[in-house]
Amino acid sequence: MSVFSQSFSPCGRFLAAGNNYGEIALFSLSAALSPDATGLSQKPVLTFTAHEGPVFSLLSTDCHLLSAGNGEVSAWNDTTTRFHRPSRVDTSLTVCLCFRSSLEIPEINSMTINSRDNSLIVGGGDNNLHVLDLEHGVFKAVLQGHSDYVHCVTMREREAEILSGGEDGAVRMWDSRTAQSVHCIDVYKYESCARPQFGKWISCLTTDSDWMLCGGGPSLSLWHLRSLSPTSTFPLSGCQRQAAFYQDMILAVGEGPFVSHCLLGGDVKAQIPCSPQSLNTLQLNTNSTEHRVLTVGGSSAHIDVFTNLSYRAFSLSF
Amino acid sequence: MGAVTDDEVIRKRLLIDGDGAGDDRRINVLLKSFTKWCNSPATPEEGFTQYQRMLGTLAQCEFSMGKTLMVYDMNLREMENYEKIYTNIEQNITSAHEKIAECKKEIQRAKRIRKNRQEYDALAKVIQQHPDRHETLKQLEALDKELQQLSHIKENVDAKLELRKKQFHVLLSTIQELQQTLENDEKSDNDDNNQESPAENGE
Repeated sequence: MSVFSQSFSPCGRFLAAGNNYGEIALFSLSAALSPDATGLSQKPVLTFTAHEGPVFSLLSTDCHLLSAGNGEVSAWNDTTTRFHRPSRVDTSLTVCLCFRSSLEIPEINSMTINSRDNSLIVGGGDNNLHVLDLEHGVFKAVLQGHSDYVHCVTMREREAEILSGGEDGAVRMWDSRTAQSVHCIDVYKYESCARPQFGKWISCLTTDSDWMLCGGGPSLSLWHLRSLSPTSTFPLSGCQRQAAFYQDMILAVGEGPFVSHCLLGGDVKAQIPCSPQSLNTLQLNTNSTEHRVLTVGGSSAHIDVFTNLSYRAFSLSF
Repeated sequence: MGAVTDDEVIRKRLLIDGDGAGDDRRINVLLKSFTKWCNSPATPEEGFTQYQRMLGTLAQCEFSMGKTLMVYDMNLREMENYEKIYTNIEQNITSAHEKIAECKKEIQRAKRIRKNRQEYDALAKVIQQHPDRHETLKQLEALDKELQQLSHIKENVDAKLELRKKQFHVLLSTIQELQQTLENDEKSDNDDNNQESPAENGE
């Protein structure tokens, strides 16, 4: 079993994780972190089958949990906030993306929310990004430009731009209002980051409006967005699948059973070991002050929880 | 502590002073000996010795009472002392908590500053790769000057070319005019000759 995606609830007390069997499990963090936690509190409080294919992406809005399956995005009613303990989730909305050829339905790899105009941006196997209006459930725009499937999508809040990275090695920046591609960076063409032995695909993309981290085939590198130039490259051996900015550090996960802590200058400060052999997803709980944890999931049924970033505290199991 | 029953209290008292082996016994014995002494028809010496003995016991009782009072005082003072220490420690704890909170804030600030510094360093590295601005400006100036000089030369050459063109034009046009005039003269000479000869033939 592999865990592909995670998402924290808006109150910060629950974690939803999606795996490759299409199941979503809800874990109660407050039970697992309390002083009298037992083995039972590390099991999910609720598991349900969301889609037929793997759940590659999960996202929490204020009232829904959005999950992406093969060609469809489902919104689940978040009953946690009302009853403080989920008893049932049901779909309030399922949107199927219409694709040109209905012979094969491409998977959805990544989703992100544009909070300015309440829209959801979805990127997947049909090389395009689709913008869905969350209020009405209709598609607003299609962003075309990638020549191969899209791996990861993220929002650049300050300038209202969408960044997407794909299998074709290009990181594209789109303006969310005009739906046009503003910039296109071919990361593999830069000598400092390129690793031709791994390929040119970009699987990991994150930004904090001024800086961008991207990695995958090429090594994980930090880019300055205003000048579109790579400033530092991180000497991590495997391919990175997800990275995040945290205070003055960069956390990255990928191939290899550890979480890498790096500094912005390009040094790898520490590599904290964890239980799965390779990691797919990393999430920081910023929604709650008392449950501030880092959770990582990957190619095993266990999701490691870090209460202090320097060591693994315990594992939740599917 | 509040669950101590009466049984416990009685049991403890009995254990400590059950058979009266202590002050209680002494007071009882004193009382008995006092009543005996009052009612005894004994000799004055015996009575005196008994009286001395009673005084001794009384003194002992008073001494032990004094001791217990002092111990009681000491306990009260110890309690005060402990209360003081307790409040002191509580204050220290609260101030330590505050200091911890302050330090946490400091750490956050320091982390932010460190992040900013690292960002500057990263950008500086990129900027260093580009050539110096002064150098480039100087190169630009030199190129400008060269450009000006060359355009100046070009103007001169153009002007000279124009002049030569005009001069040639003048020369050629004068030659043509001269040719024309010579042709005209020749023609007029021929005409004159032709007119004269028919005129001679006609005569």
